[in-house]
Amino acid sequence: MSGKGLENFKDSAPLSLGVELELQLVSRRDFDLTRGATDLLGSLDYDGRFGEIKLEITESMIEISTQAQLTVDGIAADLAGLRDTLRRHGERNNIGICGGGTHPFHHWPERRICPGDRFSGLYQRYGYLAKQFTVFGQHIHVGCTSADEAIWLTQALGVHVPAFIALSASSPFVDGVDSFYQSARLNAVSAFPLSGQCPPLNDWPDFCRHFEFLQGCGIAQGIKDLYWDVRPKPEFGTVEIRVCDTPLSIEQAIALAAFAQSLSRWLLRTRPPLHTERQAHVARYNKFQACRYGLDAEISDPVGLCQQPLRQTLAPLLEAISDDASALGCLHWLNPLKNQLAEGAGDAAWLRERFRQQGNLNDVVREASERLMR
Amino acid sequence: MIERLLAPLRNVWENLIERLLFLPPFPESIDSLALFSLLLVVGLLLGEWLHAHFRWPKVIGYVLAGIVFGPSALGWISIEALAQARPIADAALGLLMMEVGRRLDLNWLHRNPELLRSTLADIALSFALIFAFALWLVGLSPAWAAATAAVTMASAPAVVLLTIEESRAQGQVTERIILHTAISSAASFVAFAVVLGIVHAELSEDWLNAVVHPLWVVAGALLVGGLGGWLALVIARALPKQSLAQVFVLVASALLAVGIARMLAVPVFLTLFLMGVLLAARDRRQTLRYTDLPEGHWLLAIVLFVIVGASLPWQEFTWLAGLQALGLLLVRAAAKAAALAWSGGSLPLPKRLLVGVGIQPLSATAVFMAYEIAGLYPEVGRSALALPLFAAAMMELLGPALCRLALSRSGECGAGEKGGIA
Repeated sequence: MSGKGLENFKDSAPLSLGVELELQLVSRRDFDLTRGATDLLGSLDYDGRFGEIKLEITESMIEISTQAQLTVDGIAADLAGLRDTLRRHGERNNIGICGGGTHPFHHWPERRICPGDRFSGLYQRYGYLAKQFTVFGQHIHVGCTSADEAIWLTQALGVHVPAFIALSASSPFVDGVDSFYQSARLNAVSAFPLSGQCPPLNDWPDFCRHFEFLQGCGIAQGIKDLYWDVRPKPEFGTVEIRVCDTPLSIEQAIALAAFAQSLSRWLLRTRPPLHTERQAHVARYNKFQACRYGLDAEISDPVGLCQQPLRQTLAPLLEAISDDASALGCLHWLNPLKNQLAEGAGDAAWLRERFRQQGNLNDVVREASERLMR
Repeated sequence: MIERLLAPLRNVWENLIERLLFLPPFPESIDSLALFSLLLVVGLLLGEWLHAHFRWPKVIGYVLAGIVFGPSALGWISIEALAQARPIADAALGLLMMEVGRRLDLNWLHRNPELLRSTLADIALSFALIFAFALWLVGLSPAWAAATAAVTMASAPAVVLLTIEESRAQGQVTERIILHTAISSAASFVAFAVVLGIVHAELSEDWLNAVVHPLWVVAGALLVGGLGGWLALVIARALPKQSLAQVFVLVASALLAVGIARMLAVPVFLTLFLMGVLLAARDRRQTLRYTDLPEGHWLLAIVLFVIVGASLPWQEFTWLAGLQALGLLLVRAAAKAAALAWSGGSLPLPKRLLVGVGIQPLSATAVFMAYEIAGLYPEVGRSALALPLFAAAMMELLGPALCRLALSRSGECGAGEKGGIA
């Protein structure tokens, strides 16, 4: 069964992975964002062996996406290949490429919408929000063997959205100032009317009914209109986690993919009770906590009716999924996350420390760009 | 004309001076600050009017204001006033040349051989074709043909920077226009230094001057530019990055270099260009890398273009000279287009040709270079260099429009285009 406008759910290999990274294009002169996506892609001499390199909504961003892979090591190889390709072409065009969820000091009115009907339609629909959407995220696809499994996993991963936000947070600076957030990027996403959480749903038919309801109300025409934190992606046969900031390094992006794969396996294996109705009441609050405080967030537990420090719940979770990570062959990729948790030094802290050392954000972006490309 | 207008006022003043003891003698020349202000206002008014009504680049208005009010037409800006305003023009040109020097990104050439190919092709073809045209079709002597080629081979850094600023352009065409302009300017300065020696050798057979003058120019510019850059970096290191104090240090060091260059009779454009290049190359700690010139320096640039407009020898214009200048511009345009088309590379051909269009401007640097060379032997230099001066005069009006056209056709202009003064 599929809702009108929804494709049939295409089953995929269990726990297969795909990673998308939105990256910043910066001028090598002053490290502000620059308009270069169309020219960069136009001059691309690349056969697509590691995945795709695509335009994003504004000319100062590009998106890279890996091939579907069964292992995290496969994702690592693709991302390294894509990075090397971008490094080569960026150098030819004198364009720097940088990670991070926001550009620390760019001036959003200077952004230019990329050519194309889809982007033009988004600009017409959302106005200035489309330009302010020049923020940079990592999306992780996890393969599901059935549509019902995808809906269940969408709900189950929703509980762990704060962990993904806190581990990937790399957007403390906006408009040249410290936002006090660890991830300020998601505030730009929150402005869109269909952002937020997937509502409580039981199975795929339930999701189709919900989607038809949205269609009937004239709110959504396709799955791409739903800017949910975690959403099913029927045409890929995956669940897509969309809340991560683009990290400052490829290695951190790979570690997050390993976390997503291991966590999904653990969830599907242990099938913990979900309490989706209750979770729906605290999801926005918990997301805010993770954005604002990162690993120091206090997460509301709607079942135990208490708050728990994210750091305290995340450490046992990483231990709990270790067996699954071993089975998937990606345990070593969880080490950067364990170290991050122990040392409390994520990408947002690194950016703040570099700003404290350098005293200006241009040098911070220069160093961040070097970090992504090394 | 201005004398006739002021005559009644002078009479009244001179009658009053006998009774009013405090009155100074009737001012025989305009005060420098008043002159600066007048040049600024007439340039701004005409530039803004043409931009508002016809969307012309504002630079065209500034140059037209200079032509209309200069010695060639109304004569309100006299030759003496032009000489008086020369330090302002030198300061404005110096700051712009330093900015172009700072933007010369030699690492990009290293990373992208296709750019090295296209810039070398631009330099070689432009010089060779203009030289051949001046030598065989116009009939200039080899020395003056070489001087003509040296003066006109490069694009106009000031016009290019101002037009990009006005258009708020960003992208590959924009970046490559800047790179080509900076490198061809550097090449034209080298050719200019060599030509100085050739002109000495041809006109006076004075081998001492033929050898020492180019060395003086190059070594002097390197020394003064290097000193200015070193001073700026040393002082700026003690100040917070991007602070206003750093901006002042940058401007003060540049003006010091302009002043010393003037004292030593070393070309200001070359000195400040080298200062910019050396400053960027030696700034390994990014001390001044992100420090931009203040908005106020654009005020100086307006005065620069009014003065350039007023300096153009339109009163000596003949149809033959005009046709020859037009021929030179066509040859030059063909050379640049051919260089960009031939060099190939990752940028599509239409965009490469747009780079070729964007680097067509010919302006202040050429005019100043021509007058530097002409000044060596004024009795022959002025007429011998009429060709590049008329070419610059024509391109002064057409160049900004061509550069703007290239930027807008490439789709790299910013929305609104409210900023800038070009």
